[in-house]
Amino acid sequence: MNDATILSARNLRVELRSKRGSFVLTVDELDLCAREALVILGPNGSGKSTLMRAMAGLERPSAGSVTSVATGPVTMVFQRPAPLAGSVAYNIRVVFLGKNLAGAELRDRIGEALERFKIDHLAEHRAVTLSGGELRRLALARAFALRPAVLLLDEPFAGLDADGQAALSLDLRRAISDTRVAVAMVTHDLRRAMLIADRIAVLIDGRLAQIGRRDAVLEQPSTPEIARVVGMTNLVQGVVIDERRDDLALVEVDAEHRVAARTDCAPGTRVWIGIRPEHLKLDIGRGAVDPIGKGIVREVVSDGVSVTVQVDWAGAELRTHLMAGRGLARTLRAGVSVSLSASPKHVHLIPVTPAI
Amino acid sequence: MNFPSLATLIEITLRTLAICIPALVISLAIGLPIGIAIGRRLFSGRVAVVSLINTGMGAPPVVVGLLVYFALARNGPFGDLSWLYSGQAMILAQVMIALPLVVGITLAAVGSLDEDWELQVRSLGVPKRWRLWLLVREIRLGLLAAVITALGGILSEVGAVWMVGGNLEGETRVLTTAILMYTQMGELEIAFGLAAILVGLMLVLAGLLTAVQQSGRT
Repeated sequence: MNDATILSARNLRVELRSKRGSFVLTVDELDLCAREALVILGPNGSGKSTLMRAMAGLERPSAGSVTSVATGPVTMVFQRPAPLAGSVAYNIRVVFLGKNLAGAELRDRIGEALERFKIDHLAEHRAVTLSGGELRRLALARAFALRPAVLLLDEPFAGLDADGQAALSLDLRRAISDTRVAVAMVTHDLRRAMLIADRIAVLIDGRLAQIGRRDAVLEQPSTPEIARVVGMTNLVQGVVIDERRDDLALVEVDAEHRVAARTDCAPGTRVWIGIRPEHLKLDIGRGAVDPIGKGIVREVVSDGVSVTVQVDWAGAELRTHLMAGRGLARTLRAGVSVSLSASPKHVHLIPVTPAI
Repeated sequence: MNFPSLATLIEITLRTLAICIPALVISLAIGLPIGIAIGRRLFSGRVAVVSLINTGMGAPPVVVGLLVYFALARNGPFGDLSWLYSGQAMILAQVMIALPLVVGITLAAVGSLDEDWELQVRSLGVPKRWRLWLLVREIRLGLLAAVITALGGILSEVGAVWMVGGNLEGETRVLTTAILMYTQMGELEIAFGLAAILVGLMLVLAGLLTAVQQSGRT
């Protein structure tokens, strides 16, 4: 724990039992610092929500502890916010029950919270009649009304349409920036996570698999499982060969597919080659710098904004994204042969761990 | 035909209220906290407890009356109280009938809340006593349903109160037992008159509670 830490978990173990089976979350060490945003990623069932609840003090650990030295409240916004029977304004007012706040000050705090999330026009509406997006705004307004020192967010954008997610994520980012609250957020949406993340933690099977600065985790995941979680979905196995190109090691997938990368791995080492989709380049000619060999386009799917291209490369399926309506995206079709390239600085190698 | 005097009718009606209202109040005082406690907590054996309550909700009142009679009989475990054929015995029987209804409906109302409801309120830093107040406010429509159902069960009950009260004139005769008695005597006009008072009473009380319930819809 350093000086800036305001919430920390040590040797935490939370055991949950239900009809569907049991689940154990274990976290040896996790710190949340003042004014930082920590995003927790992980597959379904990895324990993200359980960790949030434990950090909020809502889940009793069977071992270890969660310690807060925050001077303000620690509060949590749930994945499915529960509105209380009553108006939207009443739903904000309940956070001040027993807190000795009344009159103009109370009205100002409620008004401030409603305005921050742009639901002041709904103040007198019944909360149970709100749409999914409005309800999430109410839940966030309710939490921010407390002026928390730590805000724990469990999938704050889940179930919203794209426009709703975009608008809410910008308002949330602004609120976090204005209040300088420390945030830990669980999400599946990597793009939204990147809007606020200073650090990323990855949970897999109830264990904290990796934690670090945002770009370090995104670019250098320590296992293939973590790589998939943080969006490094292009993963292919190869072998470091005893040959170099411009001071770079070469990893061979097969005779026609080689990738240059920076690595300390000795020749003969079996590795996972990881390349983020946004760092994989396509060309229908010979390929630009840093070629990694040819592939065949399998599928081209456009959502009107971006085009996702699946390419068969050395027997593996790689994915990349193009801007819709521009350059190659306008002409690319399934079955076309393309040259692929990836800058060595964006190629991440993960040694293959022998199966035990 | 031997019509009871107006004074007798008023006396029977007031006695009905004097027995039913304490029975209702006691049922609610015991049943609401139990229903809330069971509804909020997951514990081993909960299914068995809830099954028992559900069985109690459908228990034949005459069987409940028989059990109360056995308990209060001179040789029964509580015979020393000398409650048999008294208002206390009738209140006890009505509480035994209404209690499972109050507990069952209350725990169903608590169970209808979002699974995370209490955690969400806790995470907002609401103190414990206020959380309980919020919970009661949140399930108030269900609680009023419990009150109305219990009132109906208590006011309309006849078998058990006859068994333990004895329908003694001037002591334990209430509207339901009087209706039964006059019916058996063939005095149907009197029975109908008393039935009209009983139904009127139920309409007024249930109407008042329903008005409160519906005005609280938000």
